[in-house]
Amino acid sequence: MATAFPSPGSLAALRFQLRELVKLTRRTLEMAVAPRRGGRAARRAFAEQMHLVGNRSMPFMIVTMAFIGAIISFQTALQSQEILPDLSQVGATFTKLLVRDLAASVGALPLATRVGAGIAAELGSMVVTEQVDALRMNNADPVETLVLPRFVACVVMGTVVLVVGGFVAFGAGVLVGQVAFGIEARTFASTALLNGGDVALGLAKCATYGGAIALVSSERGLSAFGGSEGVGRATTEAVVGSCFTIIVLNVLLSTGGHFLLPAL
Amino acid sequence: MILTEPVPPPDPGPPASPAASPAPGVAEAAVDLHAVSLAFGPKQVFRDLDLRLEAGRVHALIGPPAVGKSTTLKLIAGLMRPDAGEVHVLGQRIDDLSERALGAVRERMGMLFQNNALFDVSVGENVAFPLRRIDAGLTEATIRARVSERLAKVALAGFEERQPAELSGGQKKRVGLARATVADAALVLYDEPTAGLDPVTSQKIYDLVRGEQRATESTAVVVSSDVAGVLTIADHVAMFYEGRVVFTGSPDEARASRVPVVHQFVHGTLEGPL
Amino acid sequence: MSTAEPGWALPAILGRRTLALLSQLGGLALLARDLGRAARPEAGGLDRVELVRHLHRMGVRSVPVIAATAAFTGGIMVLQAAPFVEQFGAKDFVGFFATFVTFRELGPLLIGLIFNGRVGANNTAELATMVVTEQVDGLRALAIDPVSYLVLPRVVAMTLTMVALVLVGDAVALLGALGVAQVLLDVSLAQFLDSALSRLETWDLLVGLVKALLFGLGISLTSCFHGLRVRGGAPGVGRAVNASVVASAAGIFVADYLSTFLLP
Repeated sequence: MATAFPSPGSLAALRFQLRELVKLTRRTLEMAVAPRRGGRAARRAFAEQMHLVGNRSMPFMIVTMAFIGAIISFQTALQSQEILPDLSQVGATFTKLLVRDLAASVGALPLATRVGAGIAAELGSMVVTEQVDALRMNNADPVETLVLPRFVACVVMGTVVLVVGGFVAFGAGVLVGQVAFGIEARTFASTALLNGGDVALGLAKCATYGGAIALVSSERGLSAFGGSEGVGRATTEAVVGSCFTIIVLNVLLSTGGHFLLPAL
Repeated sequence: MILTEPVPPPDPGPPASPAASPAPGVAEAAVDLHAVSLAFGPKQVFRDLDLRLEAGRVHALIGPPAVGKSTTLKLIAGLMRPDAGEVHVLGQRIDDLSERALGAVRERMGMLFQNNALFDVSVGENVAFPLRRIDAGLTEATIRARVSERLAKVALAGFEERQPAELSGGQKKRVGLARATVADAALVLYDEPTAGLDPVTSQKIYDLVRGEQRATESTAVVVSSDVAGVLTIADHVAMFYEGRVVFTGSPDEARASRVPVVHQFVHGTLEGPL
Repeated sequence: MSTAEPGWALPAILGRRTLALLSQLGGLALLARDLGRAARPEAGGLDRVELVRHLHRMGVRSVPVIAATAAFTGGIMVLQAAPFVEQFGAKDFVGFFATFVTFRELGPLLIGLIFNGRVGANNTAELATMVVTEQVDGLRALAIDPVSYLVLPRVVAMTLTMVALVLVGDAVALLGALGVAQVLLDVSLAQFLDSALSRLETWDLLVGLVKALLFGLGISLTSCFHGLRVRGGAPGVGRAVNASVVASAAGIFVADYLSTFLLP
């Protein structure tokens, strides 16, 4: 697709990738709002991707998020012991942290690993086996037929998976509070500190991360070259790129949230 | 549109077309690359490449590995764009067209990819794919009939419901061939159609390529490393070497050529510049 | 894919999953045993040249992305602490909170995940490509033991690299946290450092490093294991990378959970 290959790992390569990513994002968003064409086949592609994203990551994410919930709850309680005289506020603090940030931001990393690697490997092998060229020869725009369904699926199902994961983490956290610190589940499972802004920020993070995973991984997959080694490289770069993008987006969204959707 | 005479070819043989005046030749050319330059990073693939392929014939593009034969096909298909120069295909300049505008030209083209590039759907759906993408409003029955007629032509009748993964290399190739020709393309590009196939299967593929071209009076461009095989069906040969076309002419002229590179490559001898 | 009778579907799936998990763990254990044998001096020991090459490739070249991740992580932790700091007026705790969480939990965890995506995936792709292109068989034909020549230096290099990267990451995260605390929360440099240094113990830093050691060992073993047992030619390479990244990510969370509880 591109005829200029800056040497990998260099700053020029990074800038090049970033430019390609911005371009892909713009085209995907344009297509997402444009009236749909393609009918049944397109609808099937969307459904298939939704199923794939949800199905592929749900069991893995449930297990992972249970551990994450347990760890966060443990640490929150441990630190509160240092600062606060009693542990009654721990549950509310834990819930707020989870909803506002950690369920989405920590959960998105394993999600990126699972889903991002899959997307990049799939699209990458389509590129190196010339299937993407074959699509273009038949007037099927790769962005429309390949990227858009993955983008929509990741935004929708990514949010669903992360919300489900958030509940699992919450459950695990309550359990740890009860078992390790003797905090009553009823006291612990408190939403006293939670407000609408927290929920809005949390959901915004889920959807943004989902979209970012799809776009970063698709871009890396579509620019794969050079056989199976190239696919491996694209997969690696997709995972690292997605994780890194999530962390950067987290800084932006958290800073924005700090001012626009204040925590208290 | 000015068509400059190509750089004097090092080969003494006369140009294949007797119509030497450039102007009327434009309409007859299915493909016309003019002063094309292309580089992949530091690697210069083409510098001022000129190539003219006339309509209604089978053209063989030959040459040592990595001289840009497959790249030429991708330039013709509009899958790659040259850094400089013009690419004319089926009477239209395509190197400056948008991907959308290219679609109209590509509807008249078919391409068989080196690795077949079959999609992960049934054989029938693979062959039907080009028909479904054309906005001709074909009915499902027409598409089915066309697909089974195509599959029968490549000796795969009744294979509609099979999956590409179940097929042998030669069968996959034939599915790719059926897909490339299903939409009655005026120009069909074949990228290494016999790579990895045994000699008998290869000859069958070549015969299909030629039979298809003769039946539809279309233009076929075949890139092949199997020089002896592809010369049996070609009307016209172009040999690439070091980023240029060093020979054009008929297969007989290629075999008789005294240019050292061409002679060595066509006859596969060890002594020579290669 | 699932040909099981409906009534048997769930037990069948669970059984298959369990078997797959056990066979993976068994394979890892066998690889670890072979490694132990290969490391003995009479077996040839460690190939120094290979070790240095991998240290450079895996370590030095990962520093930029790891440093950026760590800086953002430090910043995010301060950002998350902000509402509580404002609520409880606990400016004295910001430095401690941010460094404690980053050193003990998030630093090793995030760096581990990124390291897994970058180095682990790459390692699997490399070994898998060597297997499918019959290079590993070539080594065997030359009577060179693939475990001692290919795996041992990689495992040692990855484990050392992971520990070193977490150390670097801790330092950078401290700077990131400092910056955000100063700009956003108006916590002075002295206040931040005093809070961090007076309450933080060496043990907190060590816990993070022990985790890094465990993660590094886990990632390296898993990625080598998946790379060497690749099946099915070039497409198998993509699958192997995918499987390796996901297994390592899951392993990281489990190991993190266990070490959080076992290391007080």
